[in-house]
Amino acid sequence: MASLTRRRMLQAGAAAVTAWAAGGCTPEGTPASAPTGPPRNGGTLRVGAIGKAAAIVRDPFGVQPNDSDYLILSLLYDTVTIPAKSPLVAPRLATRWEAGEDLRTWRFTLAENVAFHDGSPCTAEDVAWSVRRLRQSEAGTSRLPGIDVSGIRAEGPRTLVIESRYPNSRIPLLLRLTTFVQKKGTTDPAGAPGTGPFELDWFRDGNARLVRNDNWFGGEVHLDAIEVRMFDRTASMVNAVLTGEIDLASNAGAVAARTAGKRDGVQVVRRPDDTAHYVVMRTSDGPFADPRVREAVKLAVDRKALVDQAISGYGKPANDILGTGDPCYAKDIPQRERNIDRARKLLDEAGFDRSRSYQLLTTEEIPGMAESATLLANQLQEAGVKIDVRKQDQATFLGASRGKAPLYTSFYGTQDSVVFCAGKLLVSESKLNEAAWHDPAFDAAYQQVVSTADDKRGAQLSHDLQQVQHERSGLLVWGAADGIDLASDKVGGLPDLPGYGRVQLERAWLSG
Amino acid sequence: MIPHRTTRVLGQLTRRVVTLVALLAITFFAVEVLPGDAVVSSLSQDASDAEFAARRAALGLDQPVLARFWHWIAGVFSGDLGTTARGQHIADLVLGRLPQTMLLGGTALVVTVLAALALGSLCVLRPGGRADRAIAGTAMVALALPEFAVATALVVVFAIWLRVLPAATGTAATSPVALVLPVIALALPQIGWNTRVVRAAFGEQLGTPHVDAAVLDGLSRRRILTHYLLPGAAPTIAAAAATSVGMVLGGAVTIEAIFNFPGLGSVLIDAVQHRDAPLVAAVVALTGALITVVLIGCDAVRAWAGGGR
Amino acid sequence: MALAVAGPWFAPHDITAPRTAPYASPGPGTPLGGDQIGRDVLSRVLVGGRDLVLASLVVAAAVTGTAAVLGAAAALRPRFGAVLDRVADTVILLPAVLGVLVVGLSVPGSGRLPVVVTAVVLGIPFAARVTAAAAAPIAATGYVETAQAAGESLFSLVWREILPNLRATLLTLLGLRFAAAVGVVATAGFLQIGAQPPAADWALMIGENSDGVLLNPLAVLVPSAAIALLAVGVNLACDIAAARWRPKAVRGR
Repeated sequence: MASLTRRRMLQAGAAAVTAWAAGGCTPEGTPASAPTGPPRNGGTLRVGAIGKAAAIVRDPFGVQPNDSDYLILSLLYDTVTIPAKSPLVAPRLATRWEAGEDLRTWRFTLAENVAFHDGSPCTAEDVAWSVRRLRQSEAGTSRLPGIDVSGIRAEGPRTLVIESRYPNSRIPLLLRLTTFVQKKGTTDPAGAPGTGPFELDWFRDGNARLVRNDNWFGGEVHLDAIEVRMFDRTASMVNAVLTGEIDLASNAGAVAARTAGKRDGVQVVRRPDDTAHYVVMRTSDGPFADPRVREAVKLAVDRKALVDQAISGYGKPANDILGTGDPCYAKDIPQRERNIDRARKLLDEAGFDRSRSYQLLTTEEIPGMAESATLLANQLQEAGVKIDVRKQDQATFLGASRGKAPLYTSFYGTQDSVVFCAGKLLVSESKLNEAAWHDPAFDAAYQQVVSTADDKRGAQLSHDLQQVQHERSGLLVWGAADGIDLASDKVGGLPDLPGYGRVQLERAWLSG
Repeated sequence: MIPHRTTRVLGQLTRRVVTLVALLAITFFAVEVLPGDAVVSSLSQDASDAEFAARRAALGLDQPVLARFWHWIAGVFSGDLGTTARGQHIADLVLGRLPQTMLLGGTALVVTVLAALALGSLCVLRPGGRADRAIAGTAMVALALPEFAVATALVVVFAIWLRVLPAATGTAATSPVALVLPVIALALPQIGWNTRVVRAAFGEQLGTPHVDAAVLDGLSRRRILTHYLLPGAAPTIAAAAATSVGMVLGGAVTIEAIFNFPGLGSVLIDAVQHRDAPLVAAVVALTGALITVVLIGCDAVRAWAGGGR
Repeated sequence: MALAVAGPWFAPHDITAPRTAPYASPGPGTPLGGDQIGRDVLSRVLVGGRDLVLASLVVAAAVTGTAAVLGAAAALRPRFGAVLDRVADTVILLPAVLGVLVVGLSVPGSGRLPVVVTAVVLGIPFAARVTAAAAAPIAATGYVETAQAAGESLFSLVWREILPNLRATLLTLLGLRFAAAVGVVATAGFLQIGAQPPAADWALMIGENSDGVLLNPLAVLVPSAAIALLAVGVNLACDIAAARWRPKAVRGR
């Protein structure tokens, strides 16, 4: 329990700056049916995660399409901050942080006595080098928006300085994912020493064995080792956990949860607000450019039915706002309910051509996505909109459709922050502006919200941001799916955070 | 006679290699026409146009098709299969998995041939008898079952309901037990197919004069089987088994996916889905090479049996 | 097979709209339970066979028909036979499933046509070898040689002299090619090539419902059994028909 208390204290330290994010909103959580009693030391946890052989990326500064790779990296390498429930960021390598008056210069104070797996000390130089390297990588500009390479530097042995081009209260939030730290000057990043809770024993074809780092600065690690097994398909991974070949199936999906519900000895870990499911309607041109048409489509869908049928009820209907897990998510904005009559009226007003059919593109990227397309087509048909579902393979979908097609299904996996999602997917200049949406009011609200340090004002601005998004954006966000892990009932200390929080296995333990 | 036979065997060998090269060419160009682009699926969605162009140039995708084919085929014969769209060495990725697929497919094939010979022999002991009809009927059902349907049913029954055999294989530390279900799923349709062939080939031999003579001489059934039926039927049986190699490797695509088996089949599915042309071509090339080796073995059996066309 | 073709008319429910919970167990109105999004499995099984049957039938017929003509021609013209042999040697190196996988994905969104075409192209050489072997003794018979000497054209030789005597072989071949075609088309469907959701298709159903196989096993097992029954049934029918033809064929010699 000692480590837990320590973690709380560290969080309290950080809360001084990030507290407004909590801003009086209360977080939610679901208890998992894990073993009770104090954590037991020892044992090897066998974890299954999805990954494809041809997509293996071992470079922590690269883009890792495989869950399995990301999991391995997260256990080997520490990040500057980590995702948490409330506030949204917790300390890891950085124990506390503060911004200058202008919210542009951020100073992160690093933990003491951090050492790499080979015994050498980890200093601010190493951290700055790693973050710079991430910034220079192919996805660097979108991972660290508004930060130049020259704006990342070490100041003395224990301070990391990040300078933003514009005032940004969200810098610690940006650093909570993928800021893996290696030793300065590492030339071959695959398997190089890190500072994380586990060290690499071996890595073969996407599978790996990691052993406990007894000198981890972050507290006591209970497990002797973690074995990560890569699975091609969710179904095989679920079979493996049901037959006891693995102890934990990471991100297994709703159907797996229902399957496991009928089995003894398997616990279901539900992590609410893991993934937002939505439909993108292109706003700049095409049949959905008219806001009335978009409103009509949003009114024509039955969100409850989508959640029940596409993700087996493991999630909740959403209200066309991304960041459903944010403590500041605007629950007071009335839920948009199905209203076929109003939808038809709006379509008529807009002069929408109901004689032709419209392609809804989809792919099988995450469970429930392709299924939702079929259901959506049925539902829209009832409002007189003819939909032709066209399922594409992932390469074609990502290359030719996402961000370009007038109508397609999509998802976003990090739902812990309204502002984070807005910056990634909705503001005019975001690289992934999927609906090609340019709304001056929204952009202005975004700029204000990131450049304010005041809690109350921040909360109010966030609310405005959500109001505009709910009213006019090109995204029909119909549901927030739970993240679901299956585990043997012997596994304790599993994370219940949404999204990438699922990889925090350093507190896990095995009973007997 | 000997020189004649040697030239014939050499001729067959050359022919096999030439057909393999023809297949490589067909594969490469078939994969070339795939729409979509490996670069797009390998970079993150928010990469810039300049990054795309750089990756494309790094992969040599801005070169003309013929130049790339030449480069590739030269590489294949020197053991350098190039790099995937993500920059992994294909040789590392694929050669590590080839033994796994060979293990799975090879075991399935051995099981197939042994089972087919045993069942075929049972049939021929009393043609038209109860055992013969039962086996022939079952063989027909078996050959009509798609591998993936068999595999799915096996997993449900043996792994999940009865919990006697593992459902997911997968790591390098695969135990022999983990191979049981995938091998059965892969072999069952082939056993059906080959049993039919063995039965027919034995039946045909039964009608030949020298076998009739042996029967009249009162030789033991076993002796007739091993000394008279088998040599005569061997070329047909070998040809059928060779055909099964292709079917087994094709079936391995779905079986590996269902059992999470780290072989070539699962790589192929990924590669096709991600438009990774060099990787698809490499897997098909390796599969073709594998079948070529078996066919050459099959040619040898025919030469040994004194048959040949 | 009749059920597969006529099935669509008996489907009690719409095959695209959900009727029950995803992977629901059998209940009133849904005797085989629900599929991945709660659609009626019974209706989808009834509807999902027709396209598979038609596609497989087209493949089997095209392969057998073409192979019959090519094989007969090969028996009469040895040089052509040698060419056919080379082609078969090449094609045998590319397992049909691999070929379909590559070709089917190279023309996405075009339905079953690429799958059918690939299956036909990859099936013909091997089948033609079988027919050529069966036609060789017929081509060597006196009356065919006589007809050939009399200057009958290749086409008429194939059509009038050889093929009628190959009926039994061809029927057996048709049955086997049908089983093989079902295998290839279904495997492609399982890998989601050819048939596209939300279409009902037995193979597609096995693939898309396999995640929930423990919740509603019927959603997977019934289409599996249907595919097996179909292939076995047609095979059996062809075998019986072939047995009936055989005496005549022998007399013909």
